[in-house]
Amino acid sequence: MVYLCPPHLASPSRPSYTDAYSDILAAHRRSPHTSASSVIILVAPDVDALCAGRMLAELFKHDDVMHRIVPVAGGAHFNNVCEELAEYTELHTLILLNMGSIMELARADFIGNFAENLHVHIIDSQRPQSLQNLFVGGEEGERVVVWDDGGAEEMSELRAAWEALMEEVSEDGDASLEEEKDDDVDWETRSSRPGKRQSLADGNGSPGKRRKLDKAHPNRISRGQADAYRRQVEKHYSSGYWHAQSTSGTVYILATVLERVDNDLLWLAILGLTYQYVICRISREDYEKYHSIYHDEVARLNPPAPANDSYGLAAVGPDDHSLRTTEELRFALWRHWSLYDAMCHSSYVAGKLGIWKELGRKKLTGLLAKMGFSTLQTQQLYAHMDMDLKRDLRDKLEAIAPEYGMVELSYPSFVRCHGYHTQPLSAADAVEGLTALLDAATGIRMEVEVDGARNGGEWFGGGHVWRATGKWMTDDVPKGRMNGDEDGAGVEDKGEGEESTLASWTVKNFWNAFDALSDISCLNESLSLAKSVHRAIIRTGSSIIDKNDIRMTKGYNIVTIRQGPDLELFCQPGALLRLGLWLADALRDRIQGSAIGKRTRRKTIPLILACFNERAHAYLIVGINSALDFGDVPKNEFGGLFLAAQEYSHTRMRYASFETHIVEVHEADFENFVGEVYRVNERY
Amino acid sequence: MSSEARQFGDLATQLVQEARRSTLTDTLLKYNDTLVRSIVREQRQLDTLITQTLAQDVTFTGSNPAALLYQTAIQRNKRCLLAYHSHRTDRLRDMYWAVGGALPHLLANTDIRAKLAPHEVDYLREYNASIIEFRSDFTAELDIAASITHPPKDLHVLVRVVRDCGAIQTEVGSIDFRYGQRYMVRRADIEHLIVQGYLQEV
Repeated sequence: MVYLCPPHLASPSRPSYTDAYSDILAAHRRSPHTSASSVIILVAPDVDALCAGRMLAELFKHDDVMHRIVPVAGGAHFNNVCEELAEYTELHTLILLNMGSIMELARADFIGNFAENLHVHIIDSQRPQSLQNLFVGGEEGERVVVWDDGGAEEMSELRAAWEALMEEVSEDGDASLEEEKDDDVDWETRSSRPGKRQSLADGNGSPGKRRKLDKAHPNRISRGQADAYRRQVEKHYSSGYWHAQSTSGTVYILATVLERVDNDLLWLAILGLTYQYVICRISREDYEKYHSIYHDEVARLNPPAPANDSYGLAAVGPDDHSLRTTEELRFALWRHWSLYDAMCHSSYVAGKLGIWKELGRKKLTGLLAKMGFSTLQTQQLYAHMDMDLKRDLRDKLEAIAPEYGMVELSYPSFVRCHGYHTQPLSAADAVEGLTALLDAATGIRMEVEVDGARNGGEWFGGGHVWRATGKWMTDDVPKGRMNGDEDGAGVEDKGEGEESTLASWTVKNFWNAFDALSDISCLNESLSLAKSVHRAIIRTGSSIIDKNDIRMTKGYNIVTIRQGPDLELFCQPGALLRLGLWLADALRDRIQGSAIGKRTRRKTIPLILACFNERAHAYLIVGINSALDFGDVPKNEFGGLFLAAQEYSHTRMRYASFETHIVEVHEADFENFVGEVYRVNERY
Repeated sequence: MSSEARQFGDLATQLVQEARRSTLTDTLLKYNDTLVRSIVREQRQLDTLITQTLAQDVTFTGSNPAALLYQTAIQRNKRCLLAYHSHRTDRLRDMYWAVGGALPHLLANTDIRAKLAPHEVDYLREYNASIIEFRSDFTAELDIAASITHPPKDLHVLVRVVRDCGAIQTEVGSIDFRYGQRYMVRRADIEHLIVQGYLQEV
């Protein structure tokens, strides 16, 4: 048994999170002379993993465990890091946050590289998980521990199927072993989904060697049985990519069982969950399930909110760092922007009103007018809006917005007070800020607008170039000097190709966001960066729709961005994904409106969004299965599609992040690759 | 005296001014060996002058203005020399403490090394030796080299590497510090690296 079940399912025979945690502690304390570099946490660059990393670091700090956090940008970077880590003989615990569940790690060619006593812990919200990590036993299997949220418990049938298949493979002759090997060696490209690929080869109708072999050894499981098993396993892998319980949620459960929960940890867990929801990783239903847990926790750990302030408008005192529950509006950063801008830049409103057209904007002004908000007030920063308008805002919206088809304007969320440093910051806003920092804190030139400069008449002087704050601002200067003075110090930044610069940006951005988690002023400043990202998204998005850049080919919407002012920004996987989600939201109603009459069965059209990366001469591609209804999140099938397309077209494909539906393909191979994606889809 | 225009004590004034300049600009200047030597030579000359004067003055009554003049000059020169050297040793000690008592680190810096006279290096070594001897009695309980301006609040500290410093052996195993990365480590193990500017507290 190499997966852990959540504490409520735990029993003496079935280990849970706490057992794994105490194992880590025990291993750390048992070897006091080599403990300094024995625990390493690898963190994927998303807010969920970031928060989880921070929480784990906090827990480890309580327990005097010396550890090290290493941000990892994506697949290629992961391989580099692992190569480096393999040299560390003292390493005994490697924790992977939001990565690795799909990779087959319990294999000799991965875990065999490391020191013998190394254990790999995988805490990952991505599904499907690799069955091998979950179920394989023995020497290597025991060393990979998956922190599961209970999903694996329900897969007993699948487990039986998988084990039967594995047994068959190991008994089989050289031929199928060879086949299996062939599937396995592609670790480098991180395309380690043998189940999927094998099945594709089989399903192709080619006379399988295995079938012949089956006849030669009649005493094993029957052919029909094996096929059924294979189908079952295949279904597990090919049913699409989705997310389960957030990584930070898993760590929060660990903290709960350890009885070390406090407001800080809770806030981080909430951020992780909100991120999952905002970025459309989990559906509204799932969100509410987890939300209700945190809702209770907030009530448990915090004094009740003052009666006259149910919306979390202000902190009670200078030391008030409490959390409060509140309804969050679906407007982008509306507490920190003018109401008009916030509505303009929210994907929900954009989709409903068609904000990219003149008509849509008129509708929006009309809506605001109906609500009784004057233009002057709506152009004002929210903080400077009239107090009675702020109070009435929600009621008015609820009364008027349904006329415009906007019914789901709010969702339950949380705010956190930060004393008198700032007005209470909502979880959604904090997530926006952190995502912006992760995507664009350094490495990209971003213009940010100065708050309040707009009505001062300074239309053209109101912006300045974003510079990361704090340690990161001064960072560039000494580095430039050191590059000249000492060789060795700045090597990482100099040269070594685009690969390492991109990775080093990601690493810098990660630390930037990591610091912002504990520094409210940093986080506050990042909000202006988030606004710029939003502006870029709506700019690019509306130009795509305006110019009709969306090509509809063979059941796919495909958008290719080859130029534009924000090309650099959208070369970041995170930013491109957000643009994709915006487009999916915006297109949902438009396409339905035209297609709904013709067909009885509503069907959405998957979106492929590609952005040209000038520096790397490659295309970054995101595949999005958009949902029929807002708040729904379908499984993303692009992971398998891309993999199959890569297989057939023999292109060089790279995973730009840890999500299988975001890939990078070389410029020359792009057309070929996309063509193959259509073909693969038609075939199955 | 070699030059007609120079008075007794001119050289010593230069030396003192140099020390003052060094203090004002907060920089370590090169040890002015030539100037010190010429002052010492001047002292010898003055000494001969005194002896001569006293030898000529056979009927010594107790007040010999010439001898008094020479003696004052000698005393002034001596004070200036002492002041200069006291200034130098102060500076050296400050530097020594600024890097947390890591003498090899200090001496390995060629810039600083070039500015030191050989006997200053000896001084630092001996100073270091006496400090270590002093510390060795209670090194388990108290680290007197620790900073007093920012008392530590935690046993552990999150550091980020600002200059590559390779693998460091600590009490609890070796840590390979790589540029740009962060480590959670025991404060006591790496305190000196923070002071020396290899690591930065986050």
